[in-house]
Amino acid sequence: MTVSAKLFLVVVSLALGLRSTALAQGVAAPQSALSPENLSKQRPKAPFDLTGTWLHDNKDGPNSWRFVPPTFKLTPDAQEHYDAGQRATKEGKVYRDDIGQCWPAGMPLIMTRVWPIAMVQLPTAIYMTSAFMNSLRIIYLDGRPHSDPDIVVPSFNGESIGRWEGNTLVVDTKYFPGHHHWMDQGGASIPASDQLHIVERIRMINSGNVLEIEYTMTDPKSWDGEWKMTKRWNRVNEDITEVECWPDLNDHIRSTSSSSQIR
Amino acid sequence: MTKKINGLIAALVLGNFLAFPIFAHHSPAVFDRTKEVKLVGSVKEFRWSNPHSFIELDVRNEKGGTDTWAVEMNPPNYLVKAGWTSKTVKPGDMVTIMVNPLRTNEPVGKFVSITLPGGQVLTENAPSPAR
Repeated sequence: MTVSAKLFLVVVSLALGLRSTALAQGVAAPQSALSPENLSKQRPKAPFDLTGTWLHDNKDGPNSWRFVPPTFKLTPDAQEHYDAGQRATKEGKVYRDDIGQCWPAGMPLIMTRVWPIAMVQLPTAIYMTSAFMNSLRIIYLDGRPHSDPDIVVPSFNGESIGRWEGNTLVVDTKYFPGHHHWMDQGGASIPASDQLHIVERIRMINSGNVLEIEYTMTDPKSWDGEWKMTKRWNRVNEDITEVECWPDLNDHIRSTSSSSQIR
Repeated sequence: MTKKINGLIAALVLGNFLAFPIFAHHSPAVFDRTKEVKLVGSVKEFRWSNPHSFIELDVRNEKGGTDTWAVEMNPPNYLVKAGWTSKTVKPGDMVTIMVNPLRTNEPVGKFVSITLPGGQVLTENAPSPAR
């Protein structure tokens, strides 16, 4: 074999190798959570099924929907936003209420709107639709890892991967857009960055009528350490309805464009 | 008497807390809950929709002109529990509406109650907490 023939073979093998690697990566992409093959795989029975409609329980007080702890240490950038929010509050105004401008509430606030959340649990995933703007959240249960950070499309509800630990569903959520996304509304103006990371430990209690979720949240671009809190949801006998931010909604809900809004 | 007033204040504060989270689209902190403004005028538009219903009301101002007030309301599922339907008011109806105004003197308010042409008074929350 001549040197050029050997070189040709090396190049071809390398090219084939690269192609097979690419194919392997393609094959490694997860099966759809709704594919019959994925749905029918043998899996241990889930400890609970949260299929139903759930509404955040605000019995702990009018601020129990909020996710900001009583004390916190912010990064300089987040502190600037927080201080601007406090100044606005003192003037009877609201700082950067992006939800009111039809940006998605996003995680975690989407979980505690005053609108119920319809949840459908399959062996491979949980599909949640909030009646607030019909916001979709999917928690994958089929064993897939988080997506490649260079490929994933950031979203306001993030990418959620769940796994069972005994009778607890542990859900890891990340990959947020890092803009127009806040940890509170009309109060503590703390931004949720693209580094926000949320771990939820979900338990079903009270004979299946209450969901209890323990939150652990970190965001090194906005605050130091971990924020921890526990909240509850009650099963309600309601259907969700279509709720959209129509393009002309805020033409009529004029407080959203009034001088009381600090943009 | 003092006890009665305290009771009334407590009821008002509680009422505000119950009403507060219903405004989930945008923050209700911009409305002055300590003030109520009485608006008498003609309904320009009533929209029965999610996430908010609203009434636009043409109100004569002191200069002889007309201000169109934007009155922001709860969604229909709450209004139904308070006795409303999509036909409760229609354009042209002369009504009286109480609102919590913005602090900025713009003609925008958070709905508190309405007196219909026939004299019936409706709020936007069910007599007992909606949940």
